[in-house]
Amino acid sequence: MSLPLWSNAVLSTVLWSAATILLYLIGKRVYRRWPRWWTTPLAIAPVLLIGLTLACNTSYRDYISGTHWLVALLGPATVAFAIPIYEQRALIRRHWPVLAIGSLVGSGTAMLSAWGFASLIGLDETLRLSLLPRSISTPFAMTVSGDIGGVPDLTAVFVVFTGVFGAALGEVLLRWLPLRSVLARGALFGMGAHGAGVAKAHQIGREEGSIAGLVMVMVGLLNVLAAPLLAHLLR
Amino acid sequence: MIPRKLSILSRQQLHRSRLLQIGLLIGFWLAGDALVRLTGLPIPGGIVGLFLVVLLLASGRLSLFSMRRGANWFLAEMLLFFIPAVPAVLDHREFIGLLGLKILAVILLGTVVVMAVTALTVDVVCRWSLRREPALVE
Repeated sequence: MSLPLWSNAVLSTVLWSAATILLYLIGKRVYRRWPRWWTTPLAIAPVLLIGLTLACNTSYRDYISGTHWLVALLGPATVAFAIPIYEQRALIRRHWPVLAIGSLVGSGTAMLSAWGFASLIGLDETLRLSLLPRSISTPFAMTVSGDIGGVPDLTAVFVVFTGVFGAALGEVLLRWLPLRSVLARGALFGMGAHGAGVAKAHQIGREEGSIAGLVMVMVGLLNVLAAPLLAHLLR
Repeated sequence: MIPRKLSILSRQQLHRSRLLQIGLLIGFWLAGDALVRLTGLPIPGGIVGLFLVVLLLASGRLSLFSMRRGANWFLAEMLLFFIPAVPAVLDHREFIGLLGLKILAVILLGTVVVMAVTALTVDVVCRWSLRREPALVE
């Protein structure tokens, strides 16, 4: 049932933005009440939202045209990482070689694991290439995907899912892995789940958060710079 | 001296107001975006903005207090900005079914491997290089 009311662009922007923010706030409250990895707002809110768009017979195109401004705020959110990175500059100056090694090994593992698992499971070439840059943050990932012959739009979807599940998986992994250093805990989130992981790392600790933010930025730059070389190798 | 007084006043206001700081961060993002468009750098505008801010902070031209509250707000609420991107799966009905499960498996397995390998590598290198300065190991 698509009400004629919803065709009004302004109204639909207001309503869908409000619905998204409301579901996010509900998700946050649920998580505070029952903190489990599957009750994170990044899991609950999208599921409810997908249900709501389907119930209202709204296409994703209509939905996103009203809520794109929220996604755009990821830009200034990236700028905001400057503050924790600057605040932790002593830690970073002392340990950047370790973080650089982590970023390098992590990026290599991300590409190889995507390629390996995708081949094993029998995905076609386009999907495989689009999956390669899934671990890095969206704007970087789309650039890399285009460079190496993937489909940037598909990559954006894979990146989001990596973030959603990665942030949750990371929390579980922290309990299983015998990690002693703040650096390792931060790198896990920054490498494995980009922005969503960094947000999760900030909930765990301020140092973990800034390390994760720095690793995310390092990995993104590293991959964009390495993409032309990678494209050459893949051809 | 009136302009000076004004600038001190506005600075105080900036240090107190989270909303103004959010606006300032958005301003740096737009500046980074404009710079990228002008120079054709293959880097997202947000990252250029990040480097701009770090440089200004390091050179003492910008105070930490002029952005801290705004930045903390952005970092605390960042998950919200990802949420509208998730229903994009609705546009890819071909993923609803076996293919989607396969892709999900690749993403999940890959992410576990990436996280474990990265964290263990960093931990090992850390422990190995920190034998001399054990301050960071809890």
